[in-house]
Amino acid sequence: MKARIIAAVALAAALSVVVSTASGGNKSASQASASKLVVWLQTDAQNGWPTAVAGATSAFKAQHPGVDVEIQYQEWTTHLQKFDASIAANDVPDVIEMGNTETSKYMAARALSALKAKNYPNSQTWLSGLKQSCTSGGHLYCVPYYAGARAVIYRKDLYRSVGVKAPPKTYAKFLAVGKKLMKKYGHNKNFSAFYEPGQNWYVAMSFVADYGGQIAVSKGGRWQGTLNTPQAIQALTVFKKMVRSFSRASKTTDEAHPYPSIPFAKGRVGSFIGNGWEWPYVFNPKGGAAPKSFAKRMGAYPMPSHIPGRYTPTFLGGSDLAIPAQSKDKQLAADWIKAFTSSNSETIIAKAGNIANTTTLVNVNKSNPALAPFAKAAKYSWFVPTAPNWVNVENANVLKNMCTAILTNRSSVAKAAGKASSQITKILNTKS
Amino acid sequence: MSSPLAGAPLAGVPARARRRRGGRRGRLGWNALGLAVFALIIFPVYWMIATAFKRGSDIFADTPVWFPIHPTLSNFTDAIHRPHFWADVKNSLIIVGCVVALSLVLAFLAALALAKFRFYGRKAFIVLIIGVQMIPLNALIIPIYLVLAKANQVDKLSGVIITYLTFVLPFTVWTLRGFMIGVPRELEEAAQVDGSTRFGAFVRVLLPLIGPGLVATSIFAFIQAWNEFIMAYVLLHSPEKQTLTVWLASFTTNRGTAWGPLMAGATLTALPVVIFFVAIQRKIAFGLTAGAVRG
Amino acid sequence: MSSRSPAAAAPLAAPSVSRRRPLGRRLRRAAAPYALLLPAAAVIAAVLGYPLYYLVRLSFQHYGLFQLVRHKGESIGTANYAEIFHDSLFWHVVLRTIAFTFACVSLTIVLGTLVALLLTKVGPFIRLLLTAGLIFVWATPVVVAVDIWQWMVDYEFGVANWTLTALHLGDFNHHDWFANPWSGWAVIVSLIVWGAIPFVTITLYAGLTQVSRDLTEAAAIDGASPWRSFRDITLPLLKPIYVILISLSIIWDFQVFNQVWIIRNGSPSTDYYLMSIYAYVESFKISEYGLGSAIALVMVAIMLLISFVYIRQMVRIGDAE
Repeated sequence: MKARIIAAVALAAALSVVVSTASGGNKSASQASASKLVVWLQTDAQNGWPTAVAGATSAFKAQHPGVDVEIQYQEWTTHLQKFDASIAANDVPDVIEMGNTETSKYMAARALSALKAKNYPNSQTWLSGLKQSCTSGGHLYCVPYYAGARAVIYRKDLYRSVGVKAPPKTYAKFLAVGKKLMKKYGHNKNFSAFYEPGQNWYVAMSFVADYGGQIAVSKGGRWQGTLNTPQAIQALTVFKKMVRSFSRASKTTDEAHPYPSIPFAKGRVGSFIGNGWEWPYVFNPKGGAAPKSFAKRMGAYPMPSHIPGRYTPTFLGGSDLAIPAQSKDKQLAADWIKAFTSSNSETIIAKAGNIANTTTLVNVNKSNPALAPFAKAAKYSWFVPTAPNWVNVENANVLKNMCTAILTNRSSVAKAAGKASSQITKILNTKS
Repeated sequence: MSSPLAGAPLAGVPARARRRRGGRRGRLGWNALGLAVFALIIFPVYWMIATAFKRGSDIFADTPVWFPIHPTLSNFTDAIHRPHFWADVKNSLIIVGCVVALSLVLAFLAALALAKFRFYGRKAFIVLIIGVQMIPLNALIIPIYLVLAKANQVDKLSGVIITYLTFVLPFTVWTLRGFMIGVPRELEEAAQVDGSTRFGAFVRVLLPLIGPGLVATSIFAFIQAWNEFIMAYVLLHSPEKQTLTVWLASFTTNRGTAWGPLMAGATLTALPVVIFFVAIQRKIAFGLTAGAVRG
Repeated sequence: MSSRSPAAAAPLAAPSVSRRRPLGRRLRRAAAPYALLLPAAAVIAAVLGYPLYYLVRLSFQHYGLFQLVRHKGESIGTANYAEIFHDSLFWHVVLRTIAFTFACVSLTIVLGTLVALLLTKVGPFIRLLLTAGLIFVWATPVVVAVDIWQWMVDYEFGVANWTLTALHLGDFNHHDWFANPWSGWAVIVSLIVWGAIPFVTITLYAGLTQVSRDLTEAAAIDGASPWRSFRDITLPLLKPIYVILISLSIIWDFQVFNQVWIIRNGSPSTDYYLMSIYAYVESFKISEYGLGSAIALVMVAIMLLISFVYIRQMVRIGDAE
């Protein structure tokens, strides 16, 4: 008899799982709204400016005492996959952070709700580059969050040791410093005068922008890849020559593997192009782990252009905040975004090494010698084509693969650029 | 045409107490080779643990630091003090515990049917459990999310449990079936003579005999469920409801991979599996034996 | 389901008993196996039934982000399949996946066998050590294992480059393992084989300990070489184990995704595409969910094709009593 009981219990337990899964149903939709606001932010905020997040949430709660705010931190590599699944099941967050190259696809698919700019703080003075990444067909679909510009981070002491006292103001001088550094230190096989991971396509495209080239242009509603134009090919040739003579970084990884600030902290790098936040990362005990005194030997300057008096345009990367179209309480979501993008909040975000979303806060880091050059560099910037499918070009690694092919000499600049160009044309014109 | 051994216990006595040939010198050579293979196999694991105890400057060293000469626990404290560590440990334990227990119960019943009954559709079921393992999980992320959302099981541990159950069951059923077939019919019949029903006889006689099989099977279920990442990441939203592998992924961000804490976290994540192994290790050898041979 | 569990309620008589039993009893006897299977089948069906239907339906639709937001795809017949079959990259990827699977499975089985044979030769202490090592490897989460390997073959700080240079095997300083796809794949295959060896070895060792020593010793006395006695005695005895190990290895290795994806930092170039990666990129990166589903289904079909022989044997083993 005992055996029967065991079996019966086992079966009942098994079935109860099945039944409880099968039933349940339709409570979810109504329950989730009103009492809880779900916000998806990237882990950058968790590690970089948690006080801004906490401040926004408490300001929001003062306004809506009955509402809970749950911040759910996401990873860049997987957050859109999770978002797609949540869209399919009508289970979206109320606020989502998106990279400014990710938004266009979702705007075109009408996955985000239209917003009114005048409802948000500083909307008159938003950075135009970010605002553009939130605008589609004349409507606004997200709110600029923050931006980042890149500048050259360099070793003052090494520059001085080869007789260079001030940051180079022209591209020719930039090359001259590099040559001197390689001559003096290049016998060390780990040394790079200028450290450029091969798949850091943002730098390659900065050269293209500097020579008047573009990644793609729109003509009569059709996109055309334009990396095969003479300007772009010239730029990429200059880029290749520079990287191959100055850099000993891997040609098959991007700027996050490893972060250039790590070899930089090890003293084997003369300079590299990085974001503002990479400066502190040099000292991070889990990162570069350089001693505090190392800061005295560091400096930053905007990358000079081959055209005298200008800087090489920097990629204006950044993040936006959007409200998914299926969000159940758009008004609450809007209120939280307002709190999070207030001048106060943006000041904290800027001080963490970013550029605030508004030109009125452009001087926040002016007195910080480490961060001021980054704001200066943002004067000349470029952005990816605003085609709805742009992010697919990134996701298919078209530009990374092109850079690797060029830098490893696996194919000629013209051939690699031509191939990338036709891939870009194909992807951007695919109907979605 | 079926293999003569399939389902039948192997002939012969267990290898033991038999005089070995070759003598001491041969053995020494084999042992040296064994040691070398051990070093080769274990090195990546050693490197993980060693890195976990290293200071930042020793991790990115010009020449590799083979042994943490300046050992530090800071990577571990850093890892443990990340938000929600203990909650995630608890969640992982709950999920794995339920998956192991439920899969054993369900697989026991199904394996009983496969091993002890001839019935129409048995082959179909076998094809089903082999086939299920062929479907790429990534292709099912969205539809599974859809189904679970309809059943109100998203962001709930139970949703993850039942999903894992689906992927663990085929293998566990298969393995347990192998163990059951190995139990000689005479034993069941003997029990029946004693007056039990056939099912009662199964349970009374089978359960102790396939005990090792249950243990061996649970290892597989444990590892599968403990190490899974993508379904847990997609299905669990709330930070306090996530699992250890999802927690581990938070060490890699756009702003740097924290190698030291990541390796410390990885060591901590692997630890429960090793403890589980050690706890039941005596039964493994025998357990896997039976399961394997009668596969 | 009635509240009275049929599995528990059916007193089952041994089949050899010839006495006639009442009809109800016989019915319950016939129903018993189904009742026993039901819970497991129900769980699998509840979670996978609809998703599988969804996957097949999706493969006949144009389903992008626009359709995802509206929960409604556009039916386009077999266009997705036509596109795949006319895509030269796809056929490259198929061939690469098959070659990759072949390399992984054969290396895993051969090396696993060698280590298992070694286990029978070493002393008890070394055996314990080796077993513990294998278990450690088995217990390491895949995500972590990939991180470790990536770290070991790192271009700048990797211990592999340093060691090879120190051993004067060439100048591996700043050697980029992934610049050349062949050496990149060699790293990935080693990583996968390393992770797969514990399961294979422990299973085979368990099998080996059951092969009667009398048989092999008798063969040795008859003058058979160790290789012959392995081939003619041990191997045939272990055949069912090999069938299962090979089938499972094919199934697992054909679907490898994480290892390649993570070691290439989530952005593999087309040189590093496997079918699983291709399907994933089309679905989640390019948002062509219809196309991605079609690739996934073709992948299952090809997997069935190449593993057919083994799967058929496996089903036979499963169907035997």
